[in-house]
Amino acid sequence: MRAASNPAVAGSGQTVGDAGGAFRPVKLVDIHLEQAIPNLSGLERYGEAQVLVRLHGVPLESVRVPVVNGGCSALSLRRAVVESAGRWVINHVVEDELAAGVVDTPNIPRTNTAKHHVRQPLPSVTVAVCTRNRTEDLAECLEGLTSLDYPDLELLVVDNAPSSDATERLVASIDDIRYVKEPRPGLDWARNRAIVEASGEILAFTDDDVVVDPLWARQLGETFAESDEIMAVTGLVVPLELETLPQLLFERAGGFGRGLRRSWNKIEEGETWHLGSGRFGTGANMAFRRSIFELIGVFDPALGAGTATNGGDDLEMFFRVLQEGHVLVYEPWAIVRHRHRRDYDALRKQLTDHGLALYAYMIRSALAYPELRGAMARFGLWWFWRRNLRRLIVSFVRPSRFPRDLIVAEMRGALVGLTRYARARRDASRLARAGKA
Amino acid sequence: MTGGRVAVRTVDIRAPVGDLTDLGEYDRVRIYTLSEGEVLGFAEIATWGDSVSSRRIRAALSDALDIKILAAGSGMSEDKVVSLFTNALERDLTLEDGDWDDEPSPLVDSVSVSIVVATLDRPDDLRHCLTNLRSQDTNRQVEIVVVDNNPSSGAARTVLKDFPGVVLVEESRRGLAYARNAGILAAGGDLVVMTDDDVTAPPDWLEKLVFPFARHDVAVVTGNVLPLELETQAQRLFEIYGGLGRGFERKEADAAWFQRSRRVVPTWRLGASANAAFRSSLFTDPGVGLMLEALGPGMPSGVGEDTYLFYKVLKAGYTIVYEPSAYVWHRHRSNMDGLRRQLFDYSKGHVAYHLTTLLRDRDLRVLVYLGFRLPLGHARRIAARLRGRSQYPLRLSLLELKGNVTGPAALWRSLQRVKREGTSSQRPNNRVPD
Repeated sequence: MRAASNPAVAGSGQTVGDAGGAFRPVKLVDIHLEQAIPNLSGLERYGEAQVLVRLHGVPLESVRVPVVNGGCSALSLRRAVVESAGRWVINHVVEDELAAGVVDTPNIPRTNTAKHHVRQPLPSVTVAVCTRNRTEDLAECLEGLTSLDYPDLELLVVDNAPSSDATERLVASIDDIRYVKEPRPGLDWARNRAIVEASGEILAFTDDDVVVDPLWARQLGETFAESDEIMAVTGLVVPLELETLPQLLFERAGGFGRGLRRSWNKIEEGETWHLGSGRFGTGANMAFRRSIFELIGVFDPALGAGTATNGGDDLEMFFRVLQEGHVLVYEPWAIVRHRHRRDYDALRKQLTDHGLALYAYMIRSALAYPELRGAMARFGLWWFWRRNLRRLIVSFVRPSRFPRDLIVAEMRGALVGLTRYARARRDASRLARAGKA
Repeated sequence: MTGGRVAVRTVDIRAPVGDLTDLGEYDRVRIYTLSEGEVLGFAEIATWGDSVSSRRIRAALSDALDIKILAAGSGMSEDKVVSLFTNALERDLTLEDGDWDDEPSPLVDSVSVSIVVATLDRPDDLRHCLTNLRSQDTNRQVEIVVVDNNPSSGAARTVLKDFPGVVLVEESRRGLAYARNAGILAAGGDLVVMTDDDVTAPPDWLEKLVFPFARHDVAVVTGNVLPLELETQAQRLFEIYGGLGRGFERKEADAAWFQRSRRVVPTWRLGASANAAFRSSLFTDPGVGLMLEALGPGMPSGVGEDTYLFYKVLKAGYTIVYEPSAYVWHRHRSNMDGLRRQLFDYSKGHVAYHLTTLLRDRDLRVLVYLGFRLPLGHARRIAARLRGRSQYPLRLSLLELKGNVTGPAALWRSLQRVKREGTSSQRPNNRVPD
């Protein structure tokens, strides 16, 4: 009898629940329909490929294709594209052809006719990366940023309370990136510093563990150009890699992606469907018209990574933009790729932080908008049941491929999050005083 | 969202769609879509500010009416335009050159196979089966392992004298799971194929069965089992009962399928170990392992050793493919006594299998199934029979009920026996030297 020779099993180094043995990494690929579909080879380690089907850069559909004999043949990829994405190709082609007024050719346009119908001029954009002691990841991130194609672009790195000058030296070695140091620890001190430092009409935020798509800034800019009423645009976050089981589990826990369909969001009087503002996106891919901060204020330094709440600043800002009556667009054409935590303990910590951040955001917003307290409490209870308690109960009823300790971790985070905002507020006030002195 | 003033506008699909302006006083705009004087439909969007951009209008129209617009624009029916478009998509998507055009890719020949056949005092069947397996059309290295579950009779040993190269393994502990496990432990192939001594396979069966393993995520492949003959009433009734085949459509199951269902996982719909192939690495995976000795023919529990193995395979996150083109012919029991015994065993084993998932895997879905759905299913079938809508005899329904009721006790007795006789891995290799 042979011993198991699956390298993925040996390599993961961590057996999680019962799902460990069968795990194989998932290869992430983009297929551009205007170009020849490639034969993918060298995929011996992988179980399947997750293919983002794109036409004119637009993500149409995400398709999973099994790896066969160490690769995916162009034929099998084409079959998957036609089966799963065909509907969305039609949708995109019609949208495209309406721009020219010729809707009669049932075929794939090689060139994007709609490109000439984008509103001009495009606004100036500042991209801000807030980072802290993660120089290695940042290098890849900056490489992506420098390959962005956009007419009026400023790149800004805000170094948040660094413990060494490694990031400063890295940024100095790359042309055309501004470096700013923000000594007060906490992500939102850095974000607010970016608001002050940025010169662009649009301020786009991304994280240091992210690689942006070359079209990212352009898609954000074009969407903002649609209407002066649009104050915030969030985009699609797809995984950069799914090499380890914890990375796959993060996707199973919901991931950062919010789908491939655009949504235009504005709240009418009395509506409360925006309270669960995680549905609009995440801080790794969000952009704001800079003038919005004069109208509704800047980020709350008591929220965000590096504080007692460890996040929630992005959710709170999405909520505030909508609550104050402005327009937020979820624009999946603006894509970034996020490197999920590779090891299990970091994943568990991140899920705890998600629970923590969400409930800290709710407490903060309920304090700031007393008229919403009832609705916020109802949403908080509903979410706790739906997301935490129900999943926990189900994990006892039937064997789950999602480890129970991760469900418990997020649940613990949610409960702790209820108490954390007050402490974070005190910390922030102290830092604010120290900053003034 | 429906309140406020709504502006009405039209858009002709034969003219470029531009921005809509002068919308300052409106909350929404409804856009009717025209093609040569015909109205195709409309889309309604919220307006913010004075104008709505072309891109937003186009997106809304396409989301609401894309196929209608395409059909009207090209003067064809909607079905026609979709099929034309799909063909055009196939045609226009060019493929990078390469030597990969042999599609679909077969499993490489270097993957070796061990075929495990368990037998119990049926020398004629065994001889027929081995002749059949020997004539399989394949280029890969194939090892045949025969497990004799009653070594004292010496029947298998005699047959194997005529089949040099076939490996004989003796397992004196009675039970199909014991026997198959002994075969698995003796097998050296990358894949382990299981079949029974009473089946006949066409010459391309083996290759068709192992073919899906070219896919990395597939860990088990099962095939179809067809009746070799339907000569007797018993054989026909067995097919009405459900037979061993699982249909003529390809299907697959994975961890998501396993977990999604609120009901029990119907692993029995995936096939049976009379015609199944496994990656040998499964049996050393701590999440899967060998077959559970307490289940299966030869034990009081009757059946379930294969379905419980499928259960563990899915739970561990692997994929199972049912490949109907890999079919074998099976000779069903020809007399009513044999059929009754078999159905009784199936009914006991069905319950024993579910109780096993409850006890070993804490699958609480079983409680609802055994307490409610299973009795309900019997009641329905009996009612259908009484109304003349089913050919399935009442006596067999009652026999099944009796089997279900005795299932827990049968499992208990089986577990006690395994406790006495030990698990398979406690006596690793019973391979008989040549």
